[in-house]
Amino acid sequence: MPAIHAAKPRRAVIVAGVRTPFVRAFGDFLKLDAIGLGVAATRALLAQTELAHQHIDAIVWGGVILPSGAPNVGREIALDMGLPPSVEAMTVSRACASGLQAITLAAAAIERGEADVVIAGGGDSTSNAEVKVGQRLVHALAPLALGKKLGPKEALQVLSQLTPISEILPRKPEIAERSTGELMGEACERMAERNGITREAQDAFAVESHHKAAAAIASGVLDDELAAVETAGGPVYADGLVRPDTSVEKLAKLRPVFAKGGTLTAGNSSPLTDGAGAVLLMSEEAAKALGYTPLAAFRSWSYVGVDPADQLLIGPALSMPQALERAGMTLADMDLVEIHEAFAAQVLCVTQALASGAFAKARLGRDQAVGEVDPQKLNRWGGSLALGHPFAATGARMVTTAARALVREDAQTAVLGICAAGGLGAAAVLERV
Amino acid sequence: MADFLINLSKNPTAKGLLGKVGVPLPVPLRRADGPWAERPLEGRVVVVGGAAGALLHPAIATTLGRAGARATLVGQDEAASAYAEAAEAWGRPLTHIDAAPDDLRADAIVFDGTGMAGMADLRALYDFLQPLVRRVQKCGRVVVIGLDPEEQTTPGAAAAHAALDGFVRSLGKELGRKGATVNRLLVRDGAEARVEPALRWLLSDRSAFVDLQTLPLSAGEPTDGAPFTRPLDGKTALVTGAARGIGAATARRLADEGAKVMILDRPDDLDAAASLARELGGVPLGLDITDADAGPRLAAAIAEHLGGLDVLVHNAGVTRDKTLGRMDPDRWDLTIAVNLSAVLDLTAHLDQAGALRDGGRVVLLSSIAGLAGNAGQTNYAASKAGLVGALGKLAPALGQRGVTVNAIAPGFIETRMTAAIPAAIREVGRRLSALSQGGLPRDIADAVTFLASPGAAGVQGAVLRVCGGSFIGA
Repeated sequence: MPAIHAAKPRRAVIVAGVRTPFVRAFGDFLKLDAIGLGVAATRALLAQTELAHQHIDAIVWGGVILPSGAPNVGREIALDMGLPPSVEAMTVSRACASGLQAITLAAAAIERGEADVVIAGGGDSTSNAEVKVGQRLVHALAPLALGKKLGPKEALQVLSQLTPISEILPRKPEIAERSTGELMGEACERMAERNGITREAQDAFAVESHHKAAAAIASGVLDDELAAVETAGGPVYADGLVRPDTSVEKLAKLRPVFAKGGTLTAGNSSPLTDGAGAVLLMSEEAAKALGYTPLAAFRSWSYVGVDPADQLLIGPALSMPQALERAGMTLADMDLVEIHEAFAAQVLCVTQALASGAFAKARLGRDQAVGEVDPQKLNRWGGSLALGHPFAATGARMVTTAARALVREDAQTAVLGICAAGGLGAAAVLERV
Repeated sequence: MADFLINLSKNPTAKGLLGKVGVPLPVPLRRADGPWAERPLEGRVVVVGGAAGALLHPAIATTLGRAGARATLVGQDEAASAYAEAAEAWGRPLTHIDAAPDDLRADAIVFDGTGMAGMADLRALYDFLQPLVRRVQKCGRVVVIGLDPEEQTTPGAAAAHAALDGFVRSLGKELGRKGATVNRLLVRDGAEARVEPALRWLLSDRSAFVDLQTLPLSAGEPTDGAPFTRPLDGKTALVTGAARGIGAATARRLADEGAKVMILDRPDDLDAAASLARELGGVPLGLDITDADAGPRLAAAIAEHLGGLDVLVHNAGVTRDKTLGRMDPDRWDLTIAVNLSAVLDLTAHLDQAGALRDGGRVVLLSSIAGLAGNAGQTNYAASKAGLVGALGKLAPALGQRGVTVNAIAPGFIETRMTAAIPAAIREVGRRLSALSQGGLPRDIADAVTFLASPGAAGVQGAVLRVCGGSFIGA
């Protein structure tokens, strides 16, 4: 058993990371729910690392669309895989930053001496989002739920509460802010307009993402990060959304989807995706004892809140500087920069804010801008626009890609930034171990 | 209290007649509900201009950016970078133009006249505002910013800055029919870093009934860091006469912004006070403020229930109207006692007892009756004018420890008190203002809340009329 509240601060290290291919929603992974996808990723992780089940202390999992009957997806993964019952598990939800949140929680637990070996990651099955019937129906059927027998009088009473029918029919799930009622795309459209991000700039950025992802896949550098998943229709090996042949001319033909005369299209917005990713974290001592070579470690992380009614997705422009400050480093010190591409416009708003002295002064209380993000360092192996965004899997994907890249490229530092619904921002600084 | 004109105007014949006679139909004012918002000017187009040498563009740019407004700068090229920076910082598009296009709709207009050095500079005011006046939207705002004429060194400069007062009063009377207000922000030497909260308030929907006024800002510490939401979190307040009317509305607004409020009223009204206190999480107190021991009892109650007092609002007041020839001594004595003596005695006592905290706020409720007079109100007007006189001494004295003392002079406000006025006189009272309507108790409450806030530290010794641009009085 690990020592609780160890006197010396321990470091948690990233040992390995693997993900399922990311495929279009309602596609190849239709029959795999969030738990099934999580099992696929975790199984692949254990196969790749050949880690014996007995060494696993816990699973910390992230999910946005949680199965209402079994919201602790992490625990269900452990049980489905037949891991020892002692493998405790929790599931965390922080919108698109759920995966990173799960991983940093695992790292924190290891640092505190609460665990030595933790599997952390996340996944989402957009295809299996539950469709909710109006709550009036649930309330009207309460007598049934409570086991009461319905005579004709009670039945009529129940029926009378089922009107107007519009209030009990299922509602189409939408990615919208509960507090403002605004679709995320609409909020981003407003951000693009306010910050002067043109359609051309967004399309060009999206094309870059696709080309970089395609090149990465073609060169094989991402091979070790992906594991094939068995489905009823056969094994799925590859990410299904990348378009190597896309171009600004092709994207220019798409119509705006969130506002008349707007700039956001399906081409420059991240698509609905299914997938999962898992990362193996250990204490440095445990990694050594079990014979694993760590890839990287967290130097810092940061979670911030911004007003969702103002600029919903600007969070990373605050969380990235905070993570850098906590790490005692600057943006210029970073060898790699990974920013989750919810929308091309969102990334461009964030990089614009990071480069702005006025933003730094007014919003961060600093004298100087955080810095210009070097395009050569940004999302070098593609981003969410091309690879897809199974909400909680994205954090796991970014940590895996960054950690592996630090070793492969012989680099030292990487900063990650993720925006999230609800007006949240997340960031982390990784360093080579 | 139904607005008679609104009802009349539903009758086409009457409406036509009213139009012929030139009686304007009032525009319903746009007022913000609930607590102060993060971005009270979200999406509003604010057109900004100024005279050469304008000093406050960085403050104006920050105010507009932070409040969510879309700034449109006309001319003033030297100031463009300040607005560009604010646009970058807050994610707002900046429009910088030489002249306003025909289809420009201005939700608000700000003129920075702080650079004016002589009378020739006044022309900039005309050049900027003349083309824009037609574009002001219903319930819009015009804020003209100038320096203190008394601090100028030449007659020409003093004239230019004093001219803004007459300009504002006249333009306000022209724009009142749109429900739009026109006010002046007077920035004294050393008050430049105290502009943002005042400008933000004047441009917001919280100053809907403030019209034709000058809000002066005095020198002192910058108001940087003053909160724009929940400004009274952790603060305590006392409102006298708070069981109903303007006092109750004031207590509600102060509580909305986070204050713990003591609701004071006569022992007869303790039920109403207690029920309001329950609603607001405050403390009721039944006390006759003219009692000899009111001061000590109040200080003790504050010590017991609030710890100390940050905001003191003297709202309690009575009228005992009679022409002087028919006024018996009791009417005179009671009115002076409640409206004037009690206010001064309690303030002095709380100050000496150490109950009023440093950096606190005292707000006196005067009245335009006190400034202009009314037949039958020699006692009332004397008491309300007396408050203004006392203000001149209280402000410097309490200002030594950061306490601001100001007076609000309500105009015609729809309350129980004004409902008792004979109908014809009441109608006239309502209409004799630029906005052509009576105000609501919440208009006074909004003004008190602003004065009570940390951001209003620059307002000291001022008499702020909240009167909809009343024609009565100077």
